[in-house]
Amino acid sequence: MMESLLDFVKGPLFRLCFAIMILGLLRIFTLDIWNGYKAWRKAGDKRIPWKLIRRRSWEWIFPFKRIKNNFQVYSVISILFHVGLILVPIFLFAHIELWKTSTGISWPSLPFTLAFWLTISTIIFLIVMLFSRIVVKPIKALSKKQDYLWLILLLIPFATGFICANLNVSPYNYHFFMLIHILSGELIFVLIPFSKIAHCVLAPLSQIVCGLAWSFPPETDDAICTTLNKKGARI
Amino acid sequence: MKTTRITDEERAKAFKSSVKPEVLEKQKLNVRYNIEEFNADDRPRRFLEAFAAILKHSNYKFVLDHFARMSARCSRCAVACQIYQATGDPEDIPCHRSELLLEVYRRHFTLGGMLKGKISGGGYLTDEKIQEMAQSFWNCTACRRCALECPMGIDHGLITHLGRYILSEIGIVPRALVISTREQLEGASKNTSGIPVPALADTLEFLEDDMFEEKSVKIKFPLDVEDSDYVFFPAVSDFLMEAETLMGIAAVFRATGDKWTIGTGYYDGINYGLFYSDRILERVVNKVDEETRRLNGKNILIGECGHASRTAKTFIPTFCGGKNALPVVSILEYTHKVWKEGRLKLNPDIITEKVAYHDPCNFARNRWIINQPREVLKSFCKNYVEMTPIGDNNICCGGGGGTVSIDEIRPYRTTVGGKLKADQIRKSGCEILVAPCANCKKQLRELVEDQKIDCQIVGLHDLIYKAIVFDESLIEKKEEQPADKDNSAEKEGKG
Repeated sequence: MMESLLDFVKGPLFRLCFAIMILGLLRIFTLDIWNGYKAWRKAGDKRIPWKLIRRRSWEWIFPFKRIKNNFQVYSVISILFHVGLILVPIFLFAHIELWKTSTGISWPSLPFTLAFWLTISTIIFLIVMLFSRIVVKPIKALSKKQDYLWLILLLIPFATGFICANLNVSPYNYHFFMLIHILSGELIFVLIPFSKIAHCVLAPLSQIVCGLAWSFPPETDDAICTTLNKKGARI
Repeated sequence: MKTTRITDEERAKAFKSSVKPEVLEKQKLNVRYNIEEFNADDRPRRFLEAFAAILKHSNYKFVLDHFARMSARCSRCAVACQIYQATGDPEDIPCHRSELLLEVYRRHFTLGGMLKGKISGGGYLTDEKIQEMAQSFWNCTACRRCALECPMGIDHGLITHLGRYILSEIGIVPRALVISTREQLEGASKNTSGIPVPALADTLEFLEDDMFEEKSVKIKFPLDVEDSDYVFFPAVSDFLMEAETLMGIAAVFRATGDKWTIGTGYYDGINYGLFYSDRILERVVNKVDEETRRLNGKNILIGECGHASRTAKTFIPTFCGGKNALPVVSILEYTHKVWKEGRLKLNPDIITEKVAYHDPCNFARNRWIINQPREVLKSFCKNYVEMTPIGDNNICCGGGGGTVSIDEIRPYRTTVGGKLKADQIRKSGCEILVAPCANCKKQLRELVEDQKIDCQIVGLHDLIYKAIVFDESLIEKKEEQPADKDNSAEKEGKG
């Protein structure tokens, strides 16, 4: 029973959830570019400040300069957390093996020890970030329910994956943890395009969006006055 | 750079409202700035109508879509915000401010939000939320420093700009800005300070006499000269309050011999549209463009004013012809250019005080003008010091985003808004602070006065005027009257 359930979540359900994530992310990424293009077409001034966009994008990719002025510990943790979060699921040997079995595609994997420590650090950083959301005043003030839930949701596949890979648990428990591991991962896949985690594909576009954001279309005054019935109204 | 939190006493002073209780009751809006009478009924519906109209005709929708999808609420912007640094109130965190509008957008203009509304029943936007936005958006100085810190790249300044625009469409906008704009666009004087042409001409004539008296050079403020290289638009308040800045600019043009003029049809660079309405923004830049074209000028030259320069530089191409728009030049760029070409000579022995330069946000945040004025200043100010941080990471004077023009919130500006700037000025120990922006100058003067800092606030051209060296051929020998002969000799000896 458990094994057939596992086969289902590893097979058809995984494919469905993965497809939802990829198609969802493709949709929002394409929409972002398409809408940006439409905005550019409408803009009165079509020059785009590429130099500034390039500079700000570099600063975003390598944020070392900024870190020294900001919450240093929180910022460093946040960056390292992203390293583990991205590398472990993609480059874990066991994950690549699954891809290889089902699709024949494979790629180099992380050494076991590195994967081990990256998993541990990601789990610790997730807990620290959750703790920060609960106790650090400005972070707490901004946090909404989904901000806490996301950290917990991300913690589940990392913790269960770590248990399955590194601890000696009974076969029944192993299957149970593996089921939770895969299901939580799939839930994350499905939610990514519809939540703030969409930043995984949108964030690289942010500087271009900001560069275009001040490119207004001409003659909006007249159009808005007409729509709001304010033609000839006093300022 | 960090600052200490304001004390309870300072808080009470900064947030004390001068708006009369009966007005607050009538307007059903507890904000500290004065608002003209407006329809206070059914505000949420009208807010959403205005929001929808703006989204329909502008480019904001794709920006909001992008920001609303990925705002991560990490709070890194809190460190960059000088308002939050001073108050420590979570409401002042830039991301919190942006979320006020982003949430309205999500709930009323996206499919997911609308479904959520249907399930939970009832709308999201209420009068209380409008109240919160009306307060929050005008607490911000729109300096856009927070945008540099946001790992998601969200431009919180743009969201504040849009929030104010929507609020203005339902009548919620500081009266000080509306009255000035009304005079500028619909009044007889056609400028925000209400200076009629004859008064302008008199003032300029008076300044010309002054300059001749001081420099023995005939320096003119040319009016309505057609085919000039530069048509000049200062912040019009300079004609009343910044005579030395204007004299410095006129002196630079006298030294270089380039053709410039002030048009009497329209001579105000101020554009409060940047602070509260894109519709106003468009109308004002059109006026600047029309006047320059009337005089067949080659370039639009903006005086020492950050927001006026940025609006012209960014929005003249937007609203007035795209690629074919007239070039916009800031006086800081012009002066730097002629100094570099060796056409402007400055005496390095005149300014001996400790001088520092304040970056106006509208020049520096986008890295447009940062080093040019510094290079000029360092060439003739022996005792130049730098404040930290500078450039695109500069600290706002505390009166940005139009707040400096709202006199009733001065205690807020000088206690909260400018607190970090005051600390920075104190730390630098400068005796003269150069702020090439009409808004920054007004705010900084009020700030040093209220914070009791011994520092003089001037424009770049104020110092240039003092140090400029004219070619011998331009200096005219004054006719010495026999009765004053002894006196003049004495004066020359002192000089």
